[in-house]
Amino acid sequence: MENVIDINYFELFTGYALMLIPVFVLWYYKTGLVKDTLIATVRMTIQLLLVGVYLEYIFKLNSITVNILWVVIMSIIASYTIIIRSGLRFKLFFIPVVLSGLISIAVTDAYFLGFVVKLENVFDARYFIPVTGMLLGNTLKNVVIALDAFYKRIDEEENYYHQYLANGATKKEALQPFMRDALRLAFNPMIATTAVMGLISLPGMMTGQILGGSNPNVAVKYQIMLLITIFSSAVLNAVLTITLSNRFAFDGFENLRKDIFRKQ
Amino acid sequence: MTEIRHLYLSFDGKVIFNDFSLNIKRGEKVAVIGESGKGKTTLLNILSGFTTDYKGRVYVFNKELNPENINEIRKDIAWLSQDTSTKERNVEELFFRPFSFAVNKHKKPSEKEIKAVFSTLHLDYSLMNKRVKNISGGQKQRILLASCLLLKKPLLLADEPTSALDEQVKRDITDFVLSQKELTVIAATHDDYWIRKSDKVIELK
Repeated sequence: MENVIDINYFELFTGYALMLIPVFVLWYYKTGLVKDTLIATVRMTIQLLLVGVYLEYIFKLNSITVNILWVVIMSIIASYTIIIRSGLRFKLFFIPVVLSGLISIAVTDAYFLGFVVKLENVFDARYFIPVTGMLLGNTLKNVVIALDAFYKRIDEEENYYHQYLANGATKKEALQPFMRDALRLAFNPMIATTAVMGLISLPGMMTGQILGGSNPNVAVKYQIMLLITIFSSAVLNAVLTITLSNRFAFDGFENLRKDIFRKQ
Repeated sequence: MTEIRHLYLSFDGKVIFNDFSLNIKRGEKVAVIGESGKGKTTLLNILSGFTTDYKGRVYVFNKELNPENINEIRKDIAWLSQDTSTKERNVEELFFRPFSFAVNKHKKPSEKEIKAVFSTLHLDYSLMNKRVKNISGGQKQRILLASCLLLKKPLLLADEPTSALDEQVKRDITDFVLSQKELTVIAATHDDYWIRKSDKVIELK
């Protein structure tokens, strides 16, 4: 490994000066987002610094139980964020969302770490935690969009749903066009980004690895595998979340329950 | 027999149905009339299981409307909504959508059957090749009606089925739909000709 130039805390602090640009723009156009931007930046900083400390400790400990527990906690936080951002009721959606997240992580993690990287211990903290973290972080946005689009559209376009049901469709058949639209909305941008990867964007993980001193070839191979794993995990997670949650979201007459939405 | 017994329903404190009862024989043609907001569409929604927070009992073809029977009941219904906005982009896709459902697959009509119904409904078969956004509201309404009729269900629930049609077309379509002997028709309507031609008129006040 080559020597990596570390960023000291003073330099890190001066780096924040770049935030003056978005803060000024958001203030100038009276977007009302300045406070949220500042809070988000402070939260991100504190969270990442704390994670740095935790991870150092967890990597040293490298206990399977602690690693799994860490991932479960990350999944619960991700699920909470998904449900809140989708405007849905926490109580109804918590179990299906957590379950879908864990199943999609288990499948894609097992394949990537166990079959592709061929780790002896797939729960090795150095791989299991960062890879799962990337999966959760990168799939979250897609699941939020898919879940939000699916239920809001059924509510707003109830007429179509009723027309299908009343002409003999099963619930699954009547929901199929809504599933199609939700997946299109959630994954179209991801497909576009994937298609231009390397041309107009360098992915964060690969850049981080290269800056961290890794060989670019190794970094690229990991990045390719991670993008594929993220894509596959995100689609699986979105479909499972919608499929598992729709068992609770409809009444006995197969009508969408109005109490699934959180009161704004 | 389709029957409603002692129906009670209110929305936001406003009573829509108060001890309302109704009997409809198989093959009967029923026009449901009344000013807007008096519950015409709601009555159709009750019969198809979309409005369920009522008190009373509802039977469709002698089956009580409840979660156990709802799928069986909906298999017997063809539903024509007043709102003709659709998710489908092409007319052909719009027309055939109900025939893509497992329960209706075996009923997929032949081109000859479709052409015959289209002609009665004053529709040109070449419309099938058009985009939904390029046809009129009246054409869309008739295409959906053609699809409903060719499903050959015993019960047609129609909400303002002739609202977007010209006078002569309205009459021809009314005559055609109401002459289907086996078909029970329950239509919410303001159309005088349809009302006159129906066997029974139910006024909601």
